[in-house]
Amino acid sequence: MNIFYDAATKVQSQSIIDWKAAGKPVVGYTCSYTPAEIFYAADILPVRLRGIETEGMEVGDTYFGPFICSFPKCILQLAGKGKFDFLDGAIITPGCDGMRRLDECWRKAGEDFQGIVPGYFYYFDVPHKAENHGMAWYIDEIRLLIKSIEDHFKVNVTDKKLTAAIKEFNKGRRLLKELEDLRSGDDVVVSGTEAFAATVAGTVMPRDEYTAELKKWISSLKKKKKSLSEDKKRLMVVGSVSDEIDLFQLIENTGKAIVVAENLCFGIRYEGNEVKEDGDPVEALAQHYLGSSVCPRMYGKYKERVNTLKERIDYSKVDGVVMQNIRFCDLHGAENALFARDLDKIGIPSLRVEREYGPHIDAGRMKLRINAFLEQISGKQQMKKTAERKAAVSA
Amino acid sequence: MRPEMREYNYDWMMGSLLNVAAKVPHGTPKETELTYRYIPYFKSGLSALINVGPPGIQFLSLVAKYYENILTAREQGKKIAATTFCNTPAILYAMDIVPATFEILTAIGCLVWKRGMFDYMDYCCEVGMPETSCSSQRGALGAALAELSEKIDFVICDTPGVCDTNANAFAFASVYMDKPFYQLNYPSTIGDGRSQKYHIDDYKEMIRFIEEHSGKKLDYDRLKEVLREIDKQDAMIADMEDMLMLRPTPIPPIFNVMLYAARFCFSGHPEYTKLLEVMVDTARKRAAAGIPGLSAGKEKLRAFMCYIDHYTVDMNFYNFFEERGIAHTGSILTRNFRDNNKYVETLPGNTYGVDTSSPDAMLDSIAQMNARLPMVRSIRGPYDRNGMWLEESLACAKLYQADCVIYNGTPGCRNTWGMVKPFARDMEKQGFPTHIMYDDAFDDRVEAWDATRERLDEFFHVRGLL
Repeated sequence: MNIFYDAATKVQSQSIIDWKAAGKPVVGYTCSYTPAEIFYAADILPVRLRGIETEGMEVGDTYFGPFICSFPKCILQLAGKGKFDFLDGAIITPGCDGMRRLDECWRKAGEDFQGIVPGYFYYFDVPHKAENHGMAWYIDEIRLLIKSIEDHFKVNVTDKKLTAAIKEFNKGRRLLKELEDLRSGDDVVVSGTEAFAATVAGTVMPRDEYTAELKKWISSLKKKKKSLSEDKKRLMVVGSVSDEIDLFQLIENTGKAIVVAENLCFGIRYEGNEVKEDGDPVEALAQHYLGSSVCPRMYGKYKERVNTLKERIDYSKVDGVVMQNIRFCDLHGAENALFARDLDKIGIPSLRVEREYGPHIDAGRMKLRINAFLEQISGKQQMKKTAERKAAVSA
Repeated sequence: MRPEMREYNYDWMMGSLLNVAAKVPHGTPKETELTYRYIPYFKSGLSALINVGPPGIQFLSLVAKYYENILTAREQGKKIAATTFCNTPAILYAMDIVPATFEILTAIGCLVWKRGMFDYMDYCCEVGMPETSCSSQRGALGAALAELSEKIDFVICDTPGVCDTNANAFAFASVYMDKPFYQLNYPSTIGDGRSQKYHIDDYKEMIRFIEEHSGKKLDYDRLKEVLREIDKQDAMIADMEDMLMLRPTPIPPIFNVMLYAARFCFSGHPEYTKLLEVMVDTARKRAAAGIPGLSAGKEKLRAFMCYIDHYTVDMNFYNFFEERGIAHTGSILTRNFRDNNKYVETLPGNTYGVDTSSPDAMLDSIAQMNARLPMVRSIRGPYDRNGMWLEESLACAKLYQADCVIYNGTPGCRNTWGMVKPFARDMEKQGFPTHIMYDDAFDDRVEAWDATRERLDEFFHVRGLL
């Protein structure tokens, strides 16, 4: 577990240091629509870019305007401070308007801070629809990305290598599915913090190492007997992008709750949803990364999203849902309101909080609201029990 | 929402008001003066329109007509589509569907009422939209969500990939009101074979969606009529654009908003042609007589609005330009990127043409035109890429001989707030003093107009422009 925690809480973890020491390249990417398998096939370490360890915002605020979410600002801040100097490349994706503008802001900051822009800097244009022409566009984009990587890094990404990469990544996906099964049981033996750290680690660690460590860890979890969920409310966390382990810690440190599920960009959104291992590997990747995505940036997929959420709530026996959105993240902010409305209809309590990404400046406020939410869930459950008892007596 | 706001249907209320406003210029001067007494917060706006003569009067009638179309759609058996300013209504007119363009409807409310659209904007937040969402949709959308407007039948937008907060507002509306939704989306490039194909493929899908939800097949003869009307309109817009280049320009500042607002309401419709005819006629006569567009008579400064204008109460932004002797050389919204415009000469691949020779040619024409409407054309990709915002703004600022460049938007404009600072720096490097306005184009509560005006004055003063 320590290796996952190290990877999840440090911008440059030991795994990355070791990889670089072996003389191999590292490429950062900003969005879950980037098929990491491509880099694996090129023997490049793909690292999902994050904003942890930010200690100020003077660089982020210089290039981004004031009405922009703190996630891309934190990434730019780290870039400006040289924390991403280990990167040999970066892929920017139009995940949302804030994230896509990281492209210009990073490049322009590079005019003032020498050496902060990696030698390979690429704009990966992901469409906002997965049907027909949207899928065709995305498949072309993947092929163009592969060609660009081959040209820049002097590597050869063959279909055979891509298929091998898909198989390796699928092993991890199957293991994460096992982890989710463990979290959904009546007696949960793993905290949400640990599970989330393990998931986030998967986005920054060398995949072979990650798969091996994950396998070992899950085997050890299966032997555990002690329930961590006893007398605790089972919560789910959804909303804006988050890789912040301390957010999960904050919830679980109340001593009254355990996070048993999440639907986050960094979390286990698509576990069990494996990439096809036969046929054209590029098309298989496209079908997985774009075709199965129901991120709110795809617009018009709300029904699919809410159904996924409901299924998950049911599967993980969730008592309440924490819906967070980073300020200026309208996509999740608006969706959370719709989720809250629709979950209320089926009796699932939810808490909507707007917050900042990065240093937990509002940890006190968050703690207060989480505690109040947990009391609200207890109250609702008590009222339900009383009503059931009264109904039984009158019957 | 305050209970009294729920007493009236918003569309009916605004439609009635505009219907009366359109009649004011037809009274005697004494009647007009008396009317102004009863509209202290719309007096300057209304008088500005009336005082520019036939174009302003025609514009009032056009806006009233737009509301009348919405209010009478049901009795005429027509469907209403909620849509956005950068998605041409021409296709809807070709299919006999009434457009309700949220940003236009919001802007009208903001310009006309002292309280603007505050109650309706806030209602969106009451039902869950973040207050950081764009105010341009939240006004009219608030009335729709509160069921205080004519019922929407379906929702179409074309901003995914270009403006999240716009697309998100329409996606939210469709879920909240349980209405069918179609989103056109744009890739980050323009002018290349791939993006051209994407535009047409996506547009065809949208037509299929409209056919399904309106029950009407696209009539290509009707589409041909609409495109021919666009052809006429584009020629007149190009004339207006040419005259905007003259120094001093014969075009009054208020003509800018009339030019694009009417295009967003009635592109491809004879109503817009009528307006353009009187606008061109008036501007030509002024140019021939050497009369500047500014009523003060002297053009002290030429400003280029690189994004949008300011639309809060009483048209105070346009009146401010008049007071200071500033010629408005257009905004991102003014430009249409038809292949006959002067400023597109330096932006190859960024234009559209109109070809009515076959159904496929017509579909391609309208799809490529739609992809070149304001914002969706040049805010789609990194701002310093070929043909994108920087190149467009520089081309316009140079061609229209702007003395300065001003950015204005809303806090919801994440697409531009994400890079407007480096953009402004690049404009400055090219020799254009550039000012970033930190207000909300539709909501004076974000920054009071007085403060916005002072900051503009400070910019003009500090940079030695006025």
